[in-house]
Amino acid sequence: MRSDGDLLALTATGDTAAFSALYDRVAPWVFGLVRRILRNPAQSEEVTQEVMIDVWRTATRYDADRGSAHSWILTIAHRRAVDRVRSEQAAADRTDLAGARSAEVDFDQVADTVSTRLEAEQVRRCLGALTDLQRESIELAYYNGYTYPEVAQQLGAKLPTIKARMRDGLIRLRDCLGTTEGQGS
Amino acid sequence: MTDPDVHTLTGPYVLDALPSDERTRFEAHLTECTFCTTEVAELRQAAVKLATQVSTPPPPALKANVMAAIEDVRQLPPQVPVAASTPKPQRFARRSVLALAAAALAVAAAGGVAIDQYQDRSAAERANQQMAAVLAQPDARTVHGTVEGGGQATVVLSTRADKSVVVLRDLPRLPKNRIWQLWMMDPANKATSIGLSTGDITQLVNGSTTGMATFGLTVEPKGGSRTPTLPAAAVVPLA
Repeated sequence: MRSDGDLLALTATGDTAAFSALYDRVAPWVFGLVRRILRNPAQSEEVTQEVMIDVWRTATRYDADRGSAHSWILTIAHRRAVDRVRSEQAAADRTDLAGARSAEVDFDQVADTVSTRLEAEQVRRCLGALTDLQRESIELAYYNGYTYPEVAQQLGAKLPTIKARMRDGLIRLRDCLGTTEGQGS
Repeated sequence: MTDPDVHTLTGPYVLDALPSDERTRFEAHLTECTFCTTEVAELRQAAVKLATQVSTPPPPALKANVMAAIEDVRQLPPQVPVAASTPKPQRFARRSVLALAAAALAVAAAGGVAIDQYQDRSAAERANQQMAAVLAQPDARTVHGTVEGGGQATVVLSTRADKSVVVLRDLPRLPKNRIWQLWMMDPANKATSIGLSTGDITQLVNGSTTGMATFGLTVEPKGGSRTPTLPAAAVVPLA
């Protein structure tokens, strides 16, 4: 089976069949992430479409030496979704505390494929190994699109603390995911 | 941006949690901080895994829309690999080194200076200008050496400005748990770390130039080391 990177490299040559296969592979990740951040289904479809068109348009600029195709695409998706949220900062649901509490992830949404399940399970376990403040800081930023001052406000913590917890938490997550990946445990 | 805790911004940056003005400033900082760019790349690989928790198939109709839309969307032209068209002589004449450095600058301007692919243009342009400023110093000189296992190390330095530009090209791939570490050594062989890199890089070094005798490149465990692990992959006398 071709890797995401191979498909992206073919996409860069204008190969629409490769792009179609790449879409099937990554669209659930992109759509799931965008919808988690934006909530609104219609907006989520719109932004997912923008992201996928952007992948097509800029595939020629992807450099495999600087990160995986998967990471590249999800980075584009996350930033676009977050930028959309910020541009609509005034929207009422953004200040809704109920919305903030739902930073707890609904794990049942996870697409039902075996490899995705295994990976999701591992991420879930690694998230569980973080301190509460590390995990909440990361989740509010990543899944809700909050800025770190917003996260600090929400959690009643100081700004430098939140900045540091986000970094500590990601380092711990990186180490947890990295070590288990190689050893298959 | 010399805020001492600027390095902790890698976390919020990777999570897209920096307010836009801080994002812009941090992206400018990234062009000067190899440590930060490396950390951003690594943390990003971890952060994107969070998306596994929320994977959801999009409505089927969306794919038809996207496939129809791309018919009308022109792909960006590929970036021309400037450095690749430069011949690789074992001995560089001064002019060809400048050409190589200029090629590296062109790559830098296109976003190649940092591992991060998403920073805005202004940050890359700033790095470009700073490097051009080193090249423009009247006492600027270039030295070069080969890297064990393949590749070249070129250092353009100005002792007057106490700045240098290190250009590493065609380096061999390292195992995942290893990283290149860049050093400047004084005449007594005391080494000062000037950065980390996962691969080819054009790195501006502010300071750590005047009074230094040698540039060194070593392979270190991920995260870098306090002192160089020997033997070095490249040792380039600066004189």
